[in-house]
Amino acid sequence: MNEYRFEDLQIGLKESFVCTITQEMMEDFRRLTGDVNPLHLDSQYAVEHGFKGSVVYGMLSASLISTLGGVYLPGKYCLIQQVETKFVKPVYVGDVLTVYGTVQELNDTVRQAVIKVEIKRDTEKVVRGCLKVGFLE
Amino acid sequence: MTREEVYVRLNKIFQSVFDDESIIVNASTCAEDIEDWDSFEHINLVVAVEHEFGIKFNIKEAKNFKNVGEMVEVIMSRGEQ
Repeated sequence: MNEYRFEDLQIGLKESFVCTITQEMMEDFRRLTGDVNPLHLDSQYAVEHGFKGSVVYGMLSASLISTLGGVYLPGKYCLIQQVETKFVKPVYVGDVLTVYGTVQELNDTVRQAVIKVEIKRDTEKVVRGCLKVGFLE
Repeated sequence: MTREEVYVRLNKIFQSVFDDESIIVNASTCAEDIEDWDSFEHINLVVAVEHEFGIKFNIKEAKNFKNVGEMVEVIMSRGEQ
């Protein structure tokens, strides 16, 4: 786990990690949230609606932003204040995603870092977002 | 930059941060007057005001604004530097 404090950050600092989306993660997410929409559970239904198979929950992909902030950038002292996401491409079980964070803005008066987020499958962006974090003392 | 211009620009910031076009601020407007003005939105407000006016508040100022009037006084004083 990284342990960046506000003072350690600089504009342009990057961190990333890799995660493979599994069927078990999908089932855990369904149990946790109660989202039983067939787009995520019924591959035939998903295909009939123009997808290649069951679509991974967008919020499951976006949950990796929590890991980005809490473990990688800034890590241990992170206090997530705001997350914005756009789900730009569907994600499927088995996809290997790389989550990238880049420090975009540092607001020293309020000790807040703004981190640009990109989640990619190979070179293709599947999620774009923005993470605003404060810091534990 | 006149005081009136500051209020016009501040008003737009408040409307944007609190996503409420009905907000009209004056010198006495304070957190109690705007339902969503909590500690989190205060951070967004401070950052937005700094960006809009190209100034920096010090930490004590940013924490202790009692109302919009106090914020305007600091913005005006920075503008004169």
